[in-house]
Amino acid sequence: MKKIKRRATAVLVLVALLFAGLAVFVVRLWQDGRDWAMFRGNAEIYTNGVLNAGIITDRNGVVLARAGDGVFAYADDQTTRMSCLHAVGDYSGNIGTGALTALSDRLVRYSFVSGVSAKERTLPLTIDAELNNTAYRALWGRAGAVLVCNYKTGEILCMVSSPTYDPNIGPDPSQDGVYLNRTISAAYTPGSVFKLVTLTAALENIPDLDTRTFHCSGSVQVMGDTVKCTGVHGDQTIEQALAHSCNCAFAEISLELGPDTLANYAGQLGLTGAHSLDGIATQAGKFEKAEPGTSLMAWSGIGQYTDLVCPYSMLRLVSAIANGGQLMEPTLVGHKRWDSARQLLDQDTAERIRSMMDYNVQYAYGSGSFPGLSICAKTGTAETGDGASHGWFVGFLNDEKHPYAFVVVIEHGGGGLSAAGPVANAVLQAAVSK
Amino acid sequence: MDAIIQYASLASKYLVALLSVWVLARCVRSLLRERYEPEVWGFLTFPDGSRASLYHYENIIGRARSADICVNDPSISRLHAVLVRSDKGRWRVFDLASRSGTYVGGEPVGRKGAVFADGDVLLFAGVAAEFSELTNEERARLSRARKAPSRFGPGVTLLMLTVIQAVLLLEQYHHAAKEYALSIITAFVVLMTLEWVCYLILRLLRRSGFEVETIALYLSSLGLSVAASSTPESMDKQIIMLVAGVVLFAVLGWWLRDLGRAKALRWPAAIGAVAFLALNLLTSEEIFGAKNWIYVAGFSIQPSEFVKIAYAYAGAATLDNLFRRRNVFVFVGFSALCVCALALMGDFGTALVFFVAFLVICFMRSGSVSTIILAISGAAIAGFFVLSVKPYIATRFASWGHIWEDAYGAGYQQTRALAAAASGGLFGQGAGAGWLHKIVAADTDLVFCLIAEELGLIVAVCAVAGIVVLAISAVRNAAQGRSSFYVIAACAAVSMMLTQVALNVFGSVDILPFTGVTFPFVSRGGSSLISCWALLAYIKAEDTRQGASFSVRMAHPERIPDADGEEDAP
Repeated sequence: MKKIKRRATAVLVLVALLFAGLAVFVVRLWQDGRDWAMFRGNAEIYTNGVLNAGIITDRNGVVLARAGDGVFAYADDQTTRMSCLHAVGDYSGNIGTGALTALSDRLVRYSFVSGVSAKERTLPLTIDAELNNTAYRALWGRAGAVLVCNYKTGEILCMVSSPTYDPNIGPDPSQDGVYLNRTISAAYTPGSVFKLVTLTAALENIPDLDTRTFHCSGSVQVMGDTVKCTGVHGDQTIEQALAHSCNCAFAEISLELGPDTLANYAGQLGLTGAHSLDGIATQAGKFEKAEPGTSLMAWSGIGQYTDLVCPYSMLRLVSAIANGGQLMEPTLVGHKRWDSARQLLDQDTAERIRSMMDYNVQYAYGSGSFPGLSICAKTGTAETGDGASHGWFVGFLNDEKHPYAFVVVIEHGGGGLSAAGPVANAVLQAAVSK
Repeated sequence: MDAIIQYASLASKYLVALLSVWVLARCVRSLLRERYEPEVWGFLTFPDGSRASLYHYENIIGRARSADICVNDPSISRLHAVLVRSDKGRWRVFDLASRSGTYVGGEPVGRKGAVFADGDVLLFAGVAAEFSELTNEERARLSRARKAPSRFGPGVTLLMLTVIQAVLLLEQYHHAAKEYALSIITAFVVLMTLEWVCYLILRLLRRSGFEVETIALYLSSLGLSVAASSTPESMDKQIIMLVAGVVLFAVLGWWLRDLGRAKALRWPAAIGAVAFLALNLLTSEEIFGAKNWIYVAGFSIQPSEFVKIAYAYAGAATLDNLFRRRNVFVFVGFSALCVCALALMGDFGTALVFFVAFLVICFMRSGSVSTIILAISGAAIAGFFVLSVKPYIATRFASWGHIWEDAYGAGYQQTRALAAAASGGLFGQGAGAGWLHKIVAADTDLVFCLIAEELGLIVAVCAVAGIVVLAISAVRNAAQGRSSFYVIAACAAVSMMLTQVALNVFGSVDILPFTGVTFPFVSRGGSSLISCWALLAYIKAEDTRQGASFSVRMAHPERIPDADGEEDAP
């Protein structure tokens, strides 16, 4: 019997395996329980696939979406419903990056100890519904994206993507890509706004940049190809070259820096990678290295060729420039801790770019278009190959009281200054007057 | 009023979790913590005056350390002979093919063994030993020394269980549709009555061990709550099956009291099992890809569940039979038949349950690790062969580890199970307050997650722990089992339960492939419930603590036994 007794301990192997498996499950539940609970199939918080809990408001407490007891509703005002649609999302989950879907775990109380509870919970977003409405109206129905954030706190004040629709009615079937939040999920040819990257690389890699003269005769020949400029700028300093957005000057700089350096800077400054906006993955950009010395290489340094940039990535860059090189990661829900800051670019470099962007407005764009705003900006008119170019206007207010960075893109809107400039002005005027 | 209900439901959630842990802890303490004097059935006195006690019905004598009576003499074989006692107190000795033979009263012991009695001298090779029965004084002394395991008040534990059941009933009543309220109340009241009647009968039989039954009743209560959530319309069926299971448990437990009687039924059990499986293969209908149901008089029956009972029974053997090669071959053949039949039905989960039980029985009978490795490799090769011949079988397991990628297809059930389990937290949403029960097979294959959702992770873990406690107590009592027959049967029974728990729980949470095996006692379904209660009888028959188990006769009654040795009529 002693033998049998000893052999009986083999059963304990099964017990050990059972415990090991159970431990694996509990650890997974601890790690992933929140994701499991937020699954759309969870009837505890989703009724027929529709979230059945929580309230979303803007920064001033305006209710943007509310659900409970099997009923849900969006904002009372139609313009607000349309301007905030992409930030808020929809209850059907068509807008995958909207807060209702992507931030649903903040609308539902979940804890490992007490599981989920459908008790009312409010999620205040950092956006301001009135600013969104202003931006939406200023877009006049054109497709595009508007982003404004406070570069000292990272809080996004305005996030509008167009085309949009009234979630109470549903999208027009003829509208294309209406579920896409163009501020974070689209990437456009940047055109001249990319010159901020080339400029950063030049400031840090070409020692005599300040004393150099860049000559523009309307075009430049690169290995038999012509790189055309928007005008004939003659002899210019680097400052003037940026203000003219002179292609000849930046082609020369690009060729001098080479594709590797430019690609490094595009990556370092966050234009090619994807980012996480409160856990929502944003669209990555693109910078392909062209053959050194070719015209394509020159074009890649002035934001053409195959370059693509997501408006959100551009917002991060101009925020960092505005804030002495230090980036407060943008957020829709606010930062709880102050560890979201990091140095995106050198403080000196940032300061020099800031003053050049200031000069842009003073010297080239005309501060009269932006009454009362101490605005620093860069325009971009991106050739898309189909005749109509994307208009970019990016920058920030050099104003302690109103530390706002902005990005405006108008799809096929034409010139950056003429198409996107007024939209930026309208939103910033509204933001400053608050 | 609403606030009162809210607080009450909150308090009841914590109460169920707390009492579950407490009930389990009391059973564990009572089962595992208590030390007790072993039973003694006789003595061997050696020429040097030393005396060895015979603690079991079956005792091996030999030079090996693993022998029950270890004799350090070079002439004795490592495992020399086995001394076997019958229920009636008749002793026999069998020689285990020793080098120098065994003799009783000068006669060599043959294949059939030799009878010996008080005062006889047994000769093991060169070593003589005189056998003696216990004197009446020794009996009385042992009887006093062996204390019944009553310190941890089984009645109190049962009372706590009753409170759990009452809370579950209240919560279910609160959430149930009005037309089902009565049948839910009836079912719970029948369960409470049943357990207290069982307890009283046990006390009348002067038995005090009720831990194993308490754990099974606890798990069955969870099962009843699951049934009330998912199919309140068939509560009556569930409770009838539960009563039937308890009755079968009592009958089988009583049958196992007599080892001779128990042994006699091994062959019929094996033949019956094979016949039942054959009948199943020929007549069954296919449900959810497995052909493992037959319909009798309005009840659907899963024959494989009943074959489990027969399998553990047929796999067990007494020590004298254990060393016969022929017995092992017959058992391997029988096992292969069962596993193949189940695989043919497409019931791979149950086939695996049988295979693990086979490994455990095989190891307990042979003690050879290499045999086990051989068996596992053989099964693996057979498995690969089947998959290469019939690749569509593999597609049934294709979603394993990828359920979230196919949450609306193959991973439908498990993704919802995980979402529900996470929603429950540690204390659950309340009995009857969940939604997972609406998903197909939630009350059987996903039952662990259903419990986690409605009663919380603590209770779900308690359910697993309950089976583990049964297993550990079976292993611990193996040291004191009267016969290897009981020990092997009990270990086979608990390994089946453990494997079922593992496949059920880990299948539902995507740690193992989803095979659709039931959780013992908890999953809804009559066949499974009845077979689990029957398997419980094997665990009960192994427990030799003084006056603990109704399926074990009292060993050393203070009353002098009658001539026929029948000291307490059932």
